[in-house]
Amino acid sequence: MSIIKICNLKYAYDGNRTVLEDISTDFELGKIYAILGPSGCGKTTLLSLLGGLDSPSDGQVLFQGEDIEKKGLAYHRKNNVAFIFQSYNLIDYMTPAENVGLTSKLPPLPILERLGLTKEEAKRNVLKLSGGQQQRVAIARALASDASVILADEPTGNLDEDTAVEITNILKECAHQMNKCVIIVTHSNDLANQADVVFRLKKGGLQKL
Amino acid sequence: MSFIKRAGLYCFRQRFKTVLLFLVLTIIATFMLTGIAVRDAAKGATADVQTAIGGKIELSLDADGHMGSGQQNQWGTVYGYNGDLITQEIVDAIRKVDGVVDYNSEDTESYFGAGVNFKYLPAAFGLSYTEYGECSAYTATLSSEKCSKFQSGKYKLVDGRHIKPDDKYACLISKELADYNKLSVGDQIKMYSLDMDAISEFEIVGIFDGTEGTSGNALTVDEIPANCGYIDYATMFELWGDDLNGYQQLTIYVKDPVSIQNVYDKISGLPELKGKTLKLGIDTEEYDVVSTPLESLQQLVNTSIIIISVVSVIILTLLLTIWIRGRKKEIGILLSIGKSKINIILQIFSETFVVAILSFTASIPLSFSVAKKAGAFLASRVTAEAANLNVQIGVAYLLPLYFLGILLIAAAVVGSSWTIVRSKPKDILTKMR
Repeated sequence: MSIIKICNLKYAYDGNRTVLEDISTDFELGKIYAILGPSGCGKTTLLSLLGGLDSPSDGQVLFQGEDIEKKGLAYHRKNNVAFIFQSYNLIDYMTPAENVGLTSKLPPLPILERLGLTKEEAKRNVLKLSGGQQQRVAIARALASDASVILADEPTGNLDEDTAVEITNILKECAHQMNKCVIIVTHSNDLANQADVVFRLKKGGLQKL
Repeated sequence: MSFIKRAGLYCFRQRFKTVLLFLVLTIIATFMLTGIAVRDAAKGATADVQTAIGGKIELSLDADGHMGSGQQNQWGTVYGYNGDLITQEIVDAIRKVDGVVDYNSEDTESYFGAGVNFKYLPAAFGLSYTEYGECSAYTATLSSEKCSKFQSGKYKLVDGRHIKPDDKYACLISKELADYNKLSVGDQIKMYSLDMDAISEFEIVGIFDGTEGTSGNALTVDEIPANCGYIDYATMFELWGDDLNGYQQLTIYVKDPVSIQNVYDKISGLPELKGKTLKLGIDTEEYDVVSTPLESLQQLVNTSIIIISVVSVIILTLLLTIWIRGRKKEIGILLSIGKSKINIILQIFSETFVVAILSFTASIPLSFSVAKKAGAFLASRVTAEAANLNVQIGVAYLLPLYFLGILLIAAAVVGSSWTIVRSKPKDILTKMR
C-alpha cells in the first residue's frame, strides 16, 4: 500500500535551473527504496521534497493520499517522516538519550540499547561517540519518532565498510520488521543492492531499475 | 522534548556562554539601574531644593527718572531718590497675599556707628572723624536669617538668635568683633551715629562667624567685614524719624516656585502699588544656582541611560547574532524533526530569559552600592550643594525596568535568530554540509 506518493513533481533552482521534471511514483510501507544518481542530479532535493524540507516548483507530495502542504510542512516533518543524514546531525550539547528524546516522549534507552549502545554510551556527549555510534543514535532518533517514512541521505557515506553493513542491516530491519518505508539516497551500489526497489535519477527523470 | 527542557540543557551544558551572557546582562542591568537610581535621586533633590528655597519676588525702588534735578553742595551736584518708598501699608498688603510665606528687607550700609563702649578691629588708617573713632557699616533688616550672606551660607549664626521683624535696638555682630571686645550675647553696645549725632544702645542678640580671614588690607574699619553687622529695621525708622518712611527694597518669599507667577500677578495687582514708582520682579537666581546643576545632572543621567540602552541592545544583539549563527546546524536539525520556528525562537528566548532573571536579581545589590558611589561622584562633579543625593533602588521602577529589559531581550532574540529561522530547512541543512 502506498504511504507516500509524488505526482508530477517539478523542482527548479531560482525558477530556471530544473533538476526534477515531472516525476511521479509512490512508495510503500515495509520496503526499502534506494535512489541512485550522479552528484548534483537532485537526489537530496527529491528527499527534501519528500520530507517537507522544501516545496516543489510544481506538483504534489501526498502522504496517505493527502497533500503534505495541507497540514503544513512542519506537521509533516514532525509526524510523518524522519531523517537520517550522512553527517548524523545530532545536537552536540546533548547526550544520545537526549537526542532521541527530541522526537519521542518514550524512554530512549531501550531503543538505543537495541541499536547497540550501552547505558554509559547513551549518557555520554554525542561528540564522544564514534561515527557508527552517532549514526545509530540518528537512526534511533528516527525510529523513536514513530514516523512511517524514514528518509536517509547517504547514511553510510561517512562510515567504514563493516559499520556501513551494520547500519544497512538496521535500515533493512526498519523496513522489513518494523514495517517502515525507508527511502535511501546514495552513491553506493552495495547499499542499493540491499534495497527492494532501486530508482535512478538522471536528467531530471526517475527511472525504476 | 519541550523547548524549556532544551533551553535548560543548553544553559547548563554551554556554561561558558551562559556565564558570559550572565556577566553582560548583569553589567547592563547594573548600569541601567544605577542610571535610573541616580536620576531619580537628582529629581528628588531638585524637588527638595524647590521646597527648601521656594521662590522670591523682589520689590524695589524704580530710580529711573526719579532722582530729581540734583542739589548743589560743596562736593558738586547730589542726586537723591524722590519717588515712592515701600511703606508699611504696602508690606501689610503684600503679606496678606495668598502664597506669600515671608518677606524681608535688607538695606546694606544703612547705619554707620562708631563704638562707644567697644572698639572695632583696626584698619590701616586710624581715622578719628568722630570723638569715638571711625564708624563701621550695619545692614538694616527685618529678618537677618533671610539676608543674602546667611542664605548663601557665607555667614553662620554661632550664638544667640537672628533679628526678627518685631525686634528693636537689636544687633548681630561677628564672632571676631565679639572676641576682640570680649562681648557675648545679651551684652549692650553703644554706638554713635554721625548722621543723627546721637548715641544708641543695642543689645547683641546673636553672633555670627564667616568673616574670618576676609579682612585683607583694609584701609578703613568699615572695609573689614568683621566690623560690619546687622541691626533691626524698627530702630532705623525710630532713629531717622520722618526722614525715613519706608523700605528701600522688599524680598517676598513664595512657598511654591511653580506658582510664583500667580503670586507675582496678585501682588502687581494690589491697589497699594498702583501708580507707585516701584519695580516688581521675580528672582529665581538662588533657586537656579542650586537647581540648575541638579537638572544638568538629571539630563546627563538621562542621556547616559539612553546611550546605555542603545549600546546594550546593540551589544546583546551582536552577541546573540554571533552565537545563533553558530547554532545554525542545531536550528536545521530542530526544523528537520518538525519543531516549529516559534518553538525554536522560544527556546533561545527562554535561555536568555533565565539568564536575564538571574542577572537582574544579581544587579539589585550591585546597583545599590554602585549607584550610591556613582551618585555621590557625579553630584560632587556637578554641584557641591547636592552632594548628598538620596540614592535608592525602588521596587516601583524595578518591575517596569525588568519588563522593558525582557522586551529588549525578546527583540534582540527575534532579530538575531530571524534570518536563520526564516530560511528553508533544506537550505540550512544543505549549507551545513
